[in-house]
Amino acid sequence: MTVEQAYQTLFGGALIILLVLIGAMCIRSIIGPRSTDRIMSVNMLGTMTICSIAILSLILDEGYLADVALIYAMISFVAVLMMASMFVPSKPKEPELDRVSDEGDAGGAEEKTRKAEGGGRK
Amino acid sequence: MMLEWIRFAISAVLLILGLCSFAAAVLGAYRFGFVMNRLHAAGIGDTAGIFLVVASLVVAEGLTADALKLIVLVFFLWFTSPVSTHFLGQVEYYTNPLLRKYVKKGGLPGFLRRTGSADEGKAAVPAQPKGEKDAAD
Repeated sequence: MTVEQAYQTLFGGALIILLVLIGAMCIRSIIGPRSTDRIMSVNMLGTMTICSIAILSLILDEGYLADVALIYAMISFVAVLMMASMFVPSKPKEPELDRVSDEGDAGGAEEKTRKAEGGGRK
Repeated sequence: MMLEWIRFAISAVLLILGLCSFAAAVLGAYRFGFVMNRLHAAGIGDTAGIFLVVASLVVAEGLTADALKLIVLVFFLWFTSPVSTHFLGQVEYYTNPLLRKYVKKGGLPGFLRRTGSADEGKAAVPAQPKGEKDAAD
């Protein structure tokens, strides 16, 4: 087994693993309950795609694929920013958060989070 | 010949570490229950994963012009990934109506606080003076 064959096997296996991870992120972007989940999945999917293009540029020995990966990174960044900016209201207002110093309300909310954690201790 | 195999071993170790980073990112995206936590997991893949994989490629290829392009790619991702993560967190902060269940003003989110007795949990949150609400608004 020569070094070239070993490199081919290594990078081929890496591409297969990346394919599985990309499929997992596709499923995550489908089942994500909120839009931010989906945008985050698309962001990670783009990163893994860039990674596979960079590996392909070495396997196929084509230098221009590195340029393609660079352009893909820029387009992925702009796509994530555009998709996220669609959901920001033009005049954003602060969300109403619970006051910690208010004993009654904050205590009730804390009780809920503790139940959600599964501890349930008092 | 031996030197080539040592180079191959370094490249393989870096590549496997990078793929483990990506696997950790995907695992975090499935295991965490809230978008902000998932963004934290996604940051691993965006920074450590792409850096380790590209380092492996550069070790395998040697310092050529194409390797330089890949290094530029890594630095580009290192600058853009925090921007998009911050922006997504901002979107979540402004649009999630259920955020008051998770985050409290002036305190850690409930799911981040260590489990313990209720008194410990209250002591961990810093007490706020009365006039702070007017100052914050």
